[in-house]
Amino acid sequence: MAFDIDRYTATSVSVHWDDLDLESFRDSPLPAESLRTLRYMADVEYHTVCYTRDLLTTPSHREADVSAFMTMWNREEFWHGEALAAVLAMHDVTVDYDALKASRLKLGWRDRLDPIKQSVLGSLVGSDFVAVHMSWGAANEWSAITAYQRMADLEEHPVLAELLRRIAKQEARHVAFYTSQARERLAASAKARKVTRFALSRFWAPVGSSISSDDDVRHVMTHLMSGPEGRRAARKVDDSISGMPGLDGLTIVQDALDRIGVPG
Amino acid sequence: MTVSAAHHEPPAFDVREFARTAQGSLRDDLDLPAIAAEPPSHEVARTLAALAVLEGATMAHLRNVLVTSTHKDARVTAFLVTWAFEKFWIADALRAIVAAGTGEEPGSAGRPDAAPAQTGRVAASAGRGPVRRALAGFTQGWAVVGVHMAVGFVDDRMLRAAHLRVVDVAGSPPLAAAVDRILRVKARHAEFFEGEARARLGTSARAARLARRELRRTSWPLGGSALEPAELDAFGRFAFGGDAGRAALGVLEHEVRGLPGLDARTAASVTASLAALAARPVA
Repeated sequence: MAFDIDRYTATSVSVHWDDLDLESFRDSPLPAESLRTLRYMADVEYHTVCYTRDLLTTPSHREADVSAFMTMWNREEFWHGEALAAVLAMHDVTVDYDALKASRLKLGWRDRLDPIKQSVLGSLVGSDFVAVHMSWGAANEWSAITAYQRMADLEEHPVLAELLRRIAKQEARHVAFYTSQARERLAASAKARKVTRFALSRFWAPVGSSISSDDDVRHVMTHLMSGPEGRRAARKVDDSISGMPGLDGLTIVQDALDRIGVPG
Repeated sequence: MTVSAAHHEPPAFDVREFARTAQGSLRDDLDLPAIAAEPPSHEVARTLAALAVLEGATMAHLRNVLVTSTHKDARVTAFLVTWAFEKFWIADALRAIVAAGTGEEPGSAGRPDAAPAQTGRVAASAGRGPVRRALAGFTQGWAVVGVHMAVGFVDDRMLRAAHLRVVDVAGSPPLAAAVDRILRVKARHAEFFEGEARARLGTSARAARLARRELRRTSWPLGGSALEPAELDAFGRFAFGGDAGRAALGVLEHEVRGLPGLDARTAASVTASLAALAARPVA
């Protein structure tokens, strides 16, 4: 089914939590390892605007629907960051502008090269590269939904679960956009299928990898995706990804977990 | 490259509050039936349609900003995310006004159905696309944030002048009320841009120098490449042509010179490029 961009923009809202009792975290705080994971997730959400930059330096941004989606998506993800930061604040962990700036600064040279690389790579294969971005976006958003669901299941904290549920619900619409775009573009072009398959299988790493230390990535993936339940969740994401034209057989999430050394 | 801290007092603008109170769709605040009853002239409608494209052309501008160090400033990117959102809905409001005036059923949101975007041009400012800007960003460091704030301020004032010209020419109270509603949303944008530009250009000679250069080199208005050439020219003529246009440019020049570090030459360059646009012969 085609994604209804008009309906999406008309109903895009920032996630709210004013009706949730965040004070409950004072009485039953989350353990340190969970806070570390939440911090990782907040960073990912806040970093969306930088990923937007990467998207904007390739032909993706010129299309009206993509542009409208990105405007709303950016804002929704920003508010996901704020929501997670609010939970962290209840545990006296501050994620403010200066802290975010500091972590973006840490990325240094690698970060600077990204838009140049992507822009040049993008022009090399033209609008077929949009298929890569959309497929990549779909993989990331599916992973994010899975991560939020796993976190909610593992913590069994009702306020956290509700907040993460609300965030995941918004991510589901992002997935819908990315998949409808990816499917259409992959189906239309053999070159797009080839380039996307190559890019995903060679370069994809769990969302947040490029902005976090290897330790943090390992911690979060181990926390959320260990054991048979974790693997099952990973397999579900891989099934969704590999269900897209030209991507059959790909197991990028499970492969990433193997690489990181997350126990199955 | 050394990253120098911006040695200025943080301006008073509360970005979190701005984000929290972001203005979405304006359609409920517009008296579209009244506008339909007093439809604007073709000229005015054409200008409003051009403004819809210009106000909505945020992603190209955002790209040019984000490929530089500015993307690391989380407070500025937080502002820009909300700014882009509000501008999206401003563009939607303008399209609704045009549709009401021309008798078509307005779409619920979103896509520009007016003049088709020029998909051939990648840069919001011709010839200075994201790769060149990103490379320049290596040497410009933090000063570039001040540059983007100055550009944002000038862009905002320029479009504001065009909106005001629409109100003057149309002489229609419902249209004036609608545009006023839009300008109230834009007022916070100008406040942020001006505050940031003032603080940064006022404390960094380098930022001021880079801002002067950028303002002189920019193709105004921002997002102009998203308009068909004939529409861009018509927009320029309407907003900045004739005596009224010259007066508006005088005000703009004064506003540009009001920012620290921006000199008469820079201000004159900006207004001259708009005057030149306004003077282009009718196709």
